[in-house]
Amino acid sequence: MDWEALWLSIKLSSVTVLILIPFAILLSRYLAYHHFTGKSWIEALIMVPLVLPPTVIGYYLLVGLGSQSWFGLLLEELLGHQLVFHFSGLVVASILVNIPFAVQPIQRAFEAVPEDVRDAAACCGMSRLKVLFKIELPMVWPGVLTALVLCFSHVLGEFGVVLMMGGNIAGETKTIAISIYDSVQAFDFASAGQMSLVLLVFAVTVLAFTTSLSRRMGAAHVSRRR
Amino acid sequence: MSQDVGDLYCRIKQDKQIRLDAEFTCKAGEVMAVVGPSGGGKSTLLRMIAGLNQPESGEIRYGDMPWFKGAAKVNLTPQQRHLGYVPQHFGLFPNLTALENVVAALDHIPKSERIPRAKEWLERVNLHGLPDRLPANLSGGQRQRVALARALAREPSVLLLDEPFSAVDRETRERLYLELARLKEQLSIPVIMVTHDLNEALLLADNMILISQGKMLQQGIPQEVLTRPRNEAVAKQMGLRNLFDAHVIAQEEERQITWLKFGEHLIASTYFDCLEVGTKVRWVIPNQGIRFNSIKQGRLCRSFNKLDITIDSMLTMGETVRIVASVKGVRHQINAEVPLHLAIKLELAKGVNTTVALKSELIHILEHQ
Amino acid sequence: MKTLKGLIALCVASLLLLSNMSAQAASHDVPAIAAASNIKFALDEIAKQFTKDTGERVRISYGSSGNFVAQIKHGAPFQMFMSADEKYTHQLALSGETVDEGLLYAVGRLAIAAPKSSPLELDPELSGLKSLLKSGQMQRFAIANPDHAPYGERARELLQNMGLWASIEPQLIYGENVSQAAQFVVSGSTQGGIIALSLAIAPQFQKMGHYQALPAELHAPLYQRMVLTKKAGATAKAFYAYLQTETAREVFIEFGFGLPDSSTHIESGN
Repeated sequence: MDWEALWLSIKLSSVTVLILIPFAILLSRYLAYHHFTGKSWIEALIMVPLVLPPTVIGYYLLVGLGSQSWFGLLLEELLGHQLVFHFSGLVVASILVNIPFAVQPIQRAFEAVPEDVRDAAACCGMSRLKVLFKIELPMVWPGVLTALVLCFSHVLGEFGVVLMMGGNIAGETKTIAISIYDSVQAFDFASAGQMSLVLLVFAVTVLAFTTSLSRRMGAAHVSRRR
Repeated sequence: MSQDVGDLYCRIKQDKQIRLDAEFTCKAGEVMAVVGPSGGGKSTLLRMIAGLNQPESGEIRYGDMPWFKGAAKVNLTPQQRHLGYVPQHFGLFPNLTALENVVAALDHIPKSERIPRAKEWLERVNLHGLPDRLPANLSGGQRQRVALARALAREPSVLLLDEPFSAVDRETRERLYLELARLKEQLSIPVIMVTHDLNEALLLADNMILISQGKMLQQGIPQEVLTRPRNEAVAKQMGLRNLFDAHVIAQEEERQITWLKFGEHLIASTYFDCLEVGTKVRWVIPNQGIRFNSIKQGRLCRSFNKLDITIDSMLTMGETVRIVASVKGVRHQINAEVPLHLAIKLELAKGVNTTVALKSELIHILEHQ
Repeated sequence: MKTLKGLIALCVASLLLLSNMSAQAASHDVPAIAAASNIKFALDEIAKQFTKDTGERVRISYGSSGNFVAQIKHGAPFQMFMSADEKYTHQLALSGETVDEGLLYAVGRLAIAAPKSSPLELDPELSGLKSLLKSGQMQRFAIANPDHAPYGERARELLQNMGLWASIEPQLIYGENVSQAAQFVVSGSTQGGIIALSLAIAPQFQKMGHYQALPAELHAPLYQRMVLTKKAGATAKAFYAYLQTETAREVFIEFGFGLPDSSTHIESGN
């Protein structure tokens, strides 16, 4: 049982979600409320990680952010280390891969906010930030929660990207999915089975908890409305 | 933020997408109705005044303060315009109670004063004892009142109402008309009300503009626009169905009469001085201008336009009867309305021949196009 | 617009947050070592001994040599590279990533292996393989990917030299590295494969399959070379030296490797 890898995976999921969700909220809100030329292109671009194999994304990140690219060298200057083969690189990769999972549900939720409510809010003198926190977030939180759970679980099981640009370095980029893969290759099926089970139980528990929570809060929401 | 109350001047021109071409002034303390068919651009116009949409070009000015000036690239946000806006479906914040909804508009006054002030406004719009209800638990009329309270509590520079009565039932609507009329007395700001219902304009508005397909067709007091439409388009919008052709036979300036040949009949209309004899004109008369009883009762006076008609059809609708009749020598049928009891008394029925009188003051000759 | 500013602010904050993370491992000198997957069991042993003897630790990542070369060229933080074929260390040296051409630490051997349930008969002349092929019972045979795994390359060479390549190629499945190939062999979904002797000889493998060492003459030698990269620190250098000691060499022999200056023969096991 590779506890270090499990902890690394949880850390990766948490950090990714922590950074991605607020970003996704702002982006989704902008996309939901504005129409501009080229909007469909932008939306298609956001969806790209859904259809691209993670290994391809990992490859592009390796090439684009590695020490052979000018951008990678720039980042190395700024941050003191590289992104590839580093935890921070995995975070960046996870964020990019999960943008569609975060933006989709949240954008739908924002689109469901009636125009009248937004107009009234603006005419009530509320700044956009105040409207977001006081009016919109209480209305769109189910979408945000969905995005959060989706992204968290997705990052937990990430493999292709991590394999490509992670380097499988223990304590740094050796996530639990990689660790399971390693165990299998070492014919240590007991260990692999153990870790897989832990992952499964963890994922199912988190999903069950959030589903019941959202149902309860949704029911409360509905009954208040009744 | 207290503001000096001023008049709202608006001039908007937009060619692309939603076409708009309008210019008007709504004075402080005046209720102006923006009337027109659906999709004609009324709501867009209102939103532009609110600052929610930006017009292509033009100017919107409140008193001396420019709110929008296309050329100078001035465009104040709705927050900056400090107005009161009641959207068509009220736009109440679903997660806040009625009281909290009103408080939301009060960030221009100190925090400690907000709740009492909000409560006060809810009382003023006749919403008693419901401050802690969520919008989902309020009826249509109650929601309307909360939205109104929220708009007014803001002490707005302008009050904008988007089809305020279309989303409520008939009974509530009648009550709300009364309340708005009452409130009107207390307000010293310009009020602009969008509606597709002519009656509302006639009931509540001091002034109105008629907008169809983005173009402002006529501006004036509602009664004026109804009885003296500028052209056929306006007439049709105002629901005038009695639209006929005639020729100018004679002009009598001293008696202030213009004589028209209408089919085989000669009718006297109010004097229109710029018309030459022999001109072909189009004229209108509202349904109320056609009187059924006057002749029998010998009340002729000035209304000496007698018309022989044959009733083609009668349709009883509630307490009134809609009559469609033909006039000898005229292609178009004439539309009239009589109260049910009068129709019974006069024994009107399909095929009956009778005589009606046309009130000459209500005959209006349209502008020559 | 405000939303855009908000987004940019978030990005900057995130970057700052990221830069503070993962300072963990860098603070304490536990070097990352890239090692060819076939030396896994041997190297794990040696590393354990190293920690016992010196108190220092290393982090080993196993994979295919070809992959590691690419990763190191793109800046992977490995301080030492232990390849399965000196061709790869040479490539790395040419690209300037290493301190020198490195050292030969072992000579690799191939083995033919099969899961316990397989009908494949194992012998050094591969006659069992030939007959299974002829009888048409051979469905799947595993080797490492010849494109970037040295053991796969040599396996292909061996099969070509034995004249079996044409008939066996349609049935071949490729492991991403020789470890995965071994895993395919043991999983029971293949009838057998040609893998590294060092993997077949490991006790973990013995539980599920059996093997037969193959004559070294049947293929070009697997000169396994190790090299320190320019990033190498003190611990990495110490480990490099440790790998040349008797303790380390004994472990290599135990796992069926030849040593550059000795000739030890292993025939079959289990």
